[in-house]
Amino acid sequence: MKRIPQPPVNPASRDLEHHDFRPGFIITLIGAILVFGGAQHLTNVDTVEGSTAWETQLIKAFSSGGLQYADQLAAPPPPKLDDPAAAAEALDRWARRPADASAPKWKVRVDTSAKTPCPT
Amino acid sequence: MECLVPNSQPRPATTAGWKLSHIRPWVQTGFLGVWLAPVGQWLHGIPSCVFHCYSCPLSSFACPVGVAANYAALLPAAFEVPYLLIGLLLVVGTLGGSIVCGWACPFGFLQDLLGKITSQKVSLPGWVGHTRYGVLVGLVILLPLVLGFKGVPFEDQIVSICRLCPAGALEAGVPYSVQGLLAGNGWMMSWFKSAILLSFIAAALFVHRPWCRIFCPLGGLLALFNRFSLFHLRFNPKECVECNLCRSRCSMGVKVDQKVNVAGCIRCLECTTCGAITPAFALPQHKPEETTAAK
Repeated sequence: MKRIPQPPVNPASRDLEHHDFRPGFIITLIGAILVFGGAQHLTNVDTVEGSTAWETQLIKAFSSGGLQYADQLAAPPPPKLDDPAAAAEALDRWARRPADASAPKWKVRVDTSAKTPCPT
Repeated sequence: MECLVPNSQPRPATTAGWKLSHIRPWVQTGFLGVWLAPVGQWLHGIPSCVFHCYSCPLSSFACPVGVAANYAALLPAAFEVPYLLIGLLLVVGTLGGSIVCGWACPFGFLQDLLGKITSQKVSLPGWVGHTRYGVLVGLVILLPLVLGFKGVPFEDQIVSICRLCPAGALEAGVPYSVQGLLAGNGWMMSWFKSAILLSFIAAALFVHRPWCRIFCPLGGLLALFNRFSLFHLRFNPKECVECNLCRSRCSMGVKVDQKVNVAGCIRCLECTTCGAITPAFALPQHKPEETTAAK
């Protein structure tokens, strides 16, 4: 063990560092209530299945690549061009579709079945 | 063991403190069974109270730092308060302060083991501990939040705490990269993250717990509770013979001879070997003068 030089100390004048019970107990109690509430907390985030995600499902989604953002969804595919006569018209209609017609109403949602490890 | 300093009397270590010192590695090993238990990963929905990457193939709980950063990045898309995380940290912090750092954290345990390889250690000034709060505010909260407002999801953020974290590199990057190598896909982890990991290992050989002392945002947060946590260290002036054993035993550089319940302490309890500093738990106390007055 390496010896560390120490300036003279006066043990009698040193703080005893006594901790009170009450502040620690109150904060522990608040923490326990938050844990209990958080375990039963329904978030504002939807799941892929259409229900609302629990807080635990949201946290699990962080670690399993389970968050889906609306702008990450692929655009709808162009129409199938089986009928050559109507192909040009169908493609034109598809190109002129309202920009927000296919946009989902959610910003982010949870895929509870995702199991991809976080890529970071 | 004896500690001899010029201005002191020789003093042997106390039995209780000596036992605690010997039990600690075994307790840390035991906690590995908690954090590295892949129980179907259903516990990934619950944050843990230690620094352990949730992308590790064996991890049982979610990393509290990663969860906090994800919540910050999610804020522009969905305002959510991490009740579970805040509550858990409040409970753990007020019950034991940073005792989980010294006795339960797997990453701290790894650094303890790496530190045993070399005997020569570089001492760090106490102010480096403030960097942890910079990491907490800057990297864990502000940066993901700002990038989130710019529309970048946390997983796509090029600079983030998870991208820079040596625990993630070791516990997730290495296993998946080895798996990739075996499958013929090459080393998956980026050279930058590999360099961070190697630098961390090199630093841990010559500095005691470099991550905990300089960067760990979780340790910094839990250490704030040390000043009023129910479990604490108490100084007994009658037992102090100024032998300096307490300060010499502290590998975190805490000036134990002045104050022990401080933010730099990881509550490893090595300082209790001197006998003047003892572990204590705050309990409700009856005031005798009040009861006398009532009578």
